[in-house]
Amino acid sequence: MMTTKPAKPTTPIIFAGQLMLPYRFEAGRTGSRFLKELRDNKKIMGLKCAKCNKVYVPPRSTCKECFSKLDNWVEVGNEGKLLTYTVLRVTRDAERDVLKKQLPVAYGIIKLDGADTGFVHMLGEVDLDKIKVGMRVKAVFREDERKGNILDINYFKPVSKARKR
Amino acid sequence: MADVQKEEFIGVEILSKIPYNWSMGPYSGSLFIEMKENKKIWGIRCPKCKKLLFPPEAMCGYCFTEVKDDWEEIGDEGTVMQFTKAGMPIFDNRTGKFAFSERPLANIQFDKGPYIMHWLEEKDMEKLHLGMRVKAVWREQGRGRGYEDIMYFRIIEEKK
Amino acid sequence: MANRVAIVGVGRSTQAARRPEVNDAEMINEAVRAALADAQIDINKVQAVLTNSIDGFDNFYLGDCLLVDGTGGYMKSGMKLHTGGTVGSTGAIAAFNMVASGMFDVVLTIGHQKQERGNSMGTLCAAAPGELREFVQGAIGAFAQAAVQYMKNTGATLEHAGMVRLKADKNACRNPYAHLRLGLKSIDDVAKSPILIWPLRLLDFCPQSCGACALIVASEKVAKKITRKPVWVADHETVHELQSEIVFGGDEEKSQQIAAKRLYKRNGITNPIRDIDCFELYEPSSWEELYLYEHFFLAEHNKGWKMIESGITEIEGEIPVNPSGGVLATNAIGATAMLRIAEAALQIRGDAGEHQVTRDVKTTLSSGLGGTNWTTLVLLKRSL
Repeated sequence: MMTTKPAKPTTPIIFAGQLMLPYRFEAGRTGSRFLKELRDNKKIMGLKCAKCNKVYVPPRSTCKECFSKLDNWVEVGNEGKLLTYTVLRVTRDAERDVLKKQLPVAYGIIKLDGADTGFVHMLGEVDLDKIKVGMRVKAVFREDERKGNILDINYFKPVSKARKR
Repeated sequence: MADVQKEEFIGVEILSKIPYNWSMGPYSGSLFIEMKENKKIWGIRCPKCKKLLFPPEAMCGYCFTEVKDDWEEIGDEGTVMQFTKAGMPIFDNRTGKFAFSERPLANIQFDKGPYIMHWLEEKDMEKLHLGMRVKAVWREQGRGRGYEDIMYFRIIEEKK
Repeated sequence: MANRVAIVGVGRSTQAARRPEVNDAEMINEAVRAALADAQIDINKVQAVLTNSIDGFDNFYLGDCLLVDGTGGYMKSGMKLHTGGTVGSTGAIAAFNMVASGMFDVVLTIGHQKQERGNSMGTLCAAAPGELREFVQGAIGAFAQAAVQYMKNTGATLEHAGMVRLKADKNACRNPYAHLRLGLKSIDDVAKSPILIWPLRLLDFCPQSCGACALIVASEKVAKKITRKPVWVADHETVHELQSEIVFGGDEEKSQQIAAKRLYKRNGITNPIRDIDCFELYEPSSWEELYLYEHFFLAEHNKGWKMIESGITEIEGEIPVNPSGGVLATNAIGATAMLRIAEAALQIRGDAGEHQVTRDVKTTLSSGLGGTNWTTLVLLKRSL
């Protein structure tokens, strides 16, 4: 029986909703060691692959190039060279809730002394117009409440010149 | 592994909040309007294989044919084909929390064939059985959110 | 099939409810190293790596990129597959197809999931369209509803589900890679577990696990060189159903039956009880195993529940089903469907250890199940 038809929508009908899904990520034994060293000892540790002569920071359990299992922990310096950077200027929740920083904030990739990989972190105590690729920077740890995450390092600040080793 | 218990492992908790806007399309859109304004349920019949599609959509999934205009009212009465009720708290992905289900859940077959999954008004499991006849109890004020415009299905008469 | 394909290596990680001591890459690495050791080859021989899991279930996205150091996929070919519960077998099937095509000789395929992380039921319900999300109570809701219908239509009772669970647990206790090894003594132990979703109890369902499984798949010419016991992939099939609200149960023909009919016909299987020696079936609920007996034509319609009474599907029985303990004992969803293939392969090789079935195994059938009741089937043989 098709005597009547249903009403036709005049504008698209949109069903709006929200999913709320909680998750817990585990760092694993290797990741936990790295984070505990940040929290308890203010040290940055990496894993060295003897075969490839490479130090991974943050540490990885397997060398991606030769597939060896890595268990040779080494400490890398708290200082390094800024490889590249950018400046965040647009307001979003993430910067406030996650990074706990006021905008604008600069962050970049840092090659720590003794590491063969880049280390991403924020820059602080620095004039945003004076940041230069290649400048030497040093980790500044939080003195209060370190929790065992990457933000136990508050930021990296410029150091005036390379220390003699 | 006893060592695993004593060792401290670090983890981080996050809550993924994922908002979404689902485009219902013109066919389901019609259904939603009719459920909200007129408390009516519509399906559309495939011109080729003649299956009654509910929710209605542009394409028959069974035989891959575009629908034309063969709308049919499905009515709001049906038969309970399957039912259950959560005994332990169930995770609700809209709130991110566990909560007890208030009512039983059922798969109800409309007399014309399509199924709808919805709540049953009757909370006493002893009073439920397969083959019960049920009828939709509508919200006074429709929300335009499809199945949410029906509160639950009420037992209307005993079958057999 | 264009080129013959064999499974030459099988690797499993240990599975547990929580594995906080490893991250995803490390957990996968366990399975990968085990598979490489089993095949006795180096990672350099692997030409492509497939990573397979369901993103939403553990909120781990872009696995093919982020897991490279664990998978051994550095600078190699490969891709990620993401379906539903079938993903482990879909990933294996993709590997079979890649090798059969002649474009690859050795492919590593990995199924993984770390379900300590989140709530897979929450994400499974999220797959329902927005207007249905309030009502869908996950896979458990669908299983419970189907069980109510099945019990009405047949002589099956909650005790039959208990018997399935007891068999699964006994088998799991003989499998060091199973997750739940409870040591259940009788079906009363099952009856004592709390009601999860009426009338089904907690023990009528599978656990949520963290784990990984890896398979190394090779072409005939490579397989014959590296192992004396290649397990040949005879055939595979995948069938999807329409999303409907009767997922399990009902009287309509299911994807399992369609898939089985096609696979059996192509391979001259006229009597699966006679022609297939061992089954590893995907049964997230003990009830599903009873239906699968019927869907795969081991029992007539509405008679599957009788098979579990007779003991015929035990490890020592004539039609062993899930000697590994099945999904009821272990369910890291991304790995689960692949484990059905891995365990079947071990049975053919005679390498299943304590849970090796008594009868000689020349042919096995592994099934996968996903989402709104899709089915995958993989037929393995000792010789083609």
